[in-house]
Amino acid sequence: MERILWPCRTALAVAIAAGASGTALAGVTVQCPGDQNGDAISDGRGDPDHPNARCVHLGAGDGYVRMADGRPLYMFGFSDLTGISEKKAMDTGMLAATFPAPTIVADEGDELYLTLTNVGMAVRPDLFDPHTVHYHGFPEASSIFDGVPEASVSINMGSSLTYYYNLVEPGTYMYHCHVEATEHMQMGMLGNLYIRPIQNRLPDGTALGTHVHSNPDYNADRNDDDPTVGDTYAYNDGDGSTRYDVDYAIQLGSFDPAFHDASETTQPLPFAYMEDRYAMLNGRGYPDTVSSTPPQAPAENGGIESQPLDSLIEAQQGERILLRLSNLNVTNFYTVSSQGIPMQVIGRGARILRGGGTPDGRDLYYRTSSVTLGGGEAADVLLDTTGIQPGTYFLYTTNFQYLTNNGADVGGMMTEIVIN
Amino acid sequence: MKWTRICNWIAGFCWLTLAVPSAGAAIDGIPGPTFNLTAAADTISMPDGGSVPVWGYGPEGSRSQYPGPTLIVNQGDTVTVALSSEIAVNGTPVPTSMLFPGQTGVTASGGSEGLLTRESTGPDDPVTYSFVARRPGTYMYHSGTRPDLQVEMGLLGALIVRPSQGAGLAYNHADSRFDHEYLFLLTEMDPALHEQVAAGNLDGVDTSAYYPMYWFINGRAAPDTMAPAGASWLPTQPYNAMIRTRPGDTMLMRIVGAGRDLHPFHHHGNNTRVIARDGRLLQSAPGAGADLAYSEFTIKTVPGATYDALFHWTGRKMGWDIYGDAPHECNDGDGDDFDDSTWEYCPDHGEPFPVQLPEAQELAFGGQYSGSPFLGTEGSLPPGEGGLNEYGGFFFMWHSHVEKEMTNFDVFPGGMMTMMVVEPPGTPIP
Repeated sequence: MERILWPCRTALAVAIAAGASGTALAGVTVQCPGDQNGDAISDGRGDPDHPNARCVHLGAGDGYVRMADGRPLYMFGFSDLTGISEKKAMDTGMLAATFPAPTIVADEGDELYLTLTNVGMAVRPDLFDPHTVHYHGFPEASSIFDGVPEASVSINMGSSLTYYYNLVEPGTYMYHCHVEATEHMQMGMLGNLYIRPIQNRLPDGTALGTHVHSNPDYNADRNDDDPTVGDTYAYNDGDGSTRYDVDYAIQLGSFDPAFHDASETTQPLPFAYMEDRYAMLNGRGYPDTVSSTPPQAPAENGGIESQPLDSLIEAQQGERILLRLSNLNVTNFYTVSSQGIPMQVIGRGARILRGGGTPDGRDLYYRTSSVTLGGGEAADVLLDTTGIQPGTYFLYTTNFQYLTNNGADVGGMMTEIVIN
Repeated sequence: MKWTRICNWIAGFCWLTLAVPSAGAAIDGIPGPTFNLTAAADTISMPDGGSVPVWGYGPEGSRSQYPGPTLIVNQGDTVTVALSSEIAVNGTPVPTSMLFPGQTGVTASGGSEGLLTRESTGPDDPVTYSFVARRPGTYMYHSGTRPDLQVEMGLLGALIVRPSQGAGLAYNHADSRFDHEYLFLLTEMDPALHEQVAAGNLDGVDTSAYYPMYWFINGRAAPDTMAPAGASWLPTQPYNAMIRTRPGDTMLMRIVGAGRDLHPFHHHGNNTRVIARDGRLLQSAPGAGADLAYSEFTIKTVPGATYDALFHWTGRKMGWDIYGDAPHECNDGDGDDFDDSTWEYCPDHGEPFPVQLPEAQELAFGGQYSGSPFLGTEGSLPPGEGGLNEYGGFFFMWHSHVEKEMTNFDVFPGGMMTMMVVEPPGTPIP
């Protein structure tokens, strides 16, 4: 079979050293078009056959996080190894899991090459679990890149598997590991994932209905056109109705501390009695959700900052805020409400909220003050701050028992919206 | 790497070129318009080795089942359901009944007076319900007698009304056309309540202390969901949920929220178009078609609600040839970018597989992996791996995304989960 990728030199060396055949891959191996040194970053102008390649290298393993009441919890998760050499990937990824997993952002038209390296679980070496990445919601999927271990392959410790996806549908997705899904997901292998639409890259001055698109840095070569400069949209709406000024990917999640403690101490896992008690936004409970400094790094993982994302939402009065909401907890439906700022739901299931999920479908946008999401559901919500008085507002769950951190109020699934 | 093609693919290809249509999958059930049912106590078997005492409806003269028989009628039928209760606790007959949410003009005769409807109080006291099935769609039925306990015990089922415009449609509009249809009746169970009932403690059962430990699709928990329909070892759970389709085919999902909890039902592989809710096409005006349909990858299933969704998969714009280096052509005569018989997406024809897969010893293999990333191809696998993928299909997991519900009494995996297979073109279904 003709190959379009050149395994980078180090990978080839590893393969040869392992005595494998010329096309075999072994050990930590990044596959990224145009990348010559294995750090998952295209070198120079990249691969002319794959000018839109976007590469990510993730480690899958374990780590620790600190809940908003100060309690450290053991977790499984992903770490970002992009930019790290293959030689250092195992060392860097070990105990370096973050919650949520590194956010993946890409653009419609990109080819996504995601290399997943299983760095092993330092605290549970008895498990030798494989891992996968499941792109939750990517359309027209193939089994081999869907990450369901029963239906395909998953990667063992010390090795890498590269997932490919041709990104043709913009929207708000999510990703997670699908190996022993109930366990690995409760343990934290969950992350934000969204794809920006090609409409962002239209030439400056393009008419979209009555809206005139702004793109001051327009360049026919998309690599010289920053998709975040000028007008940005959630979807290819054709009329500017999903335009936003600032966007925030916010993932709802929750942990059952008893489950995490049982995992850490090699005890039977309480599946049937799983009860989440720490409800979070992007891996933190309030008030950590609004703190610009991460929670104190747990000593248990060697002091690695494992909760890098805050959920503080900020905008100037009059700006349009896009919330890319997803829920990846494994026990509950959660309703989140925006106090003082009306919500407009413009997307669900990674599609524009129009008839049939197509831009030319009948308009199904609706205004509300709350959105309910079960696990695996996503919604795109616009907050229009026109006429909203400057001040601090709140986005919070109306499942009020989850406005706590393991029972200690006030905390849990809440963050602030600051209008300046 | 060596790829071996399997005969089925070529055979299937020939099927199509000979234009021999393969019948689509239909939902198991019993045809109407007249049904004679009994309600009786029985047990169901769980994949963890446990068994649960249940009450269920069943065809007269047969064992009761979980869920009750799927009643299949035609729009306009005058449906008549006769029910006798053979349930007894400590020798005392237990009355039961049936409600038909979504139907209008339901009359009940015979039996004895009850709170929500007339009831059968015993084998000698049959009750008869009758209604005209005015609107096509997906509905449920369940007990109207002490429903908090009896529905939990298993007295529920699905009702399908076929439209007057005929087979292959869910509603009287072309927007609801399908090639295959499958039922997804979602329930859950707290076995402790069932044990109390079986022990005769009918008055001591506290249904508000409900804590489910089992989760079901069509009355089975995974992996039994994928066992054959009518399997002899599951005599009271005749319905399966082994979902199969082919590229380009349209599959109708009839989802019924028949339990007491919400379930986010996640279907891998592609988004669906949700075209109806509670037996009503999502349309802005009569005859408009499903113009209010929405696209989803996780269908929020609310207790008591039904949803009809259409699933369609081609692998469009995947960026690589899904048939790999197996000899095949892509003939797009009508200019829709797809092969006119296999639904291969022609712009991707001949595009190489984009990455190299690691060596076998670095991978863990799933039983439903064919050994090849290509549709209809079987690759070499280490001894003991694979073997559950007869046609080299693409398997996708369809499941509750409250992943806690993918367990059987504290054991993962199981529960509200099954697999959907996109089989190679021409694979016979069913």
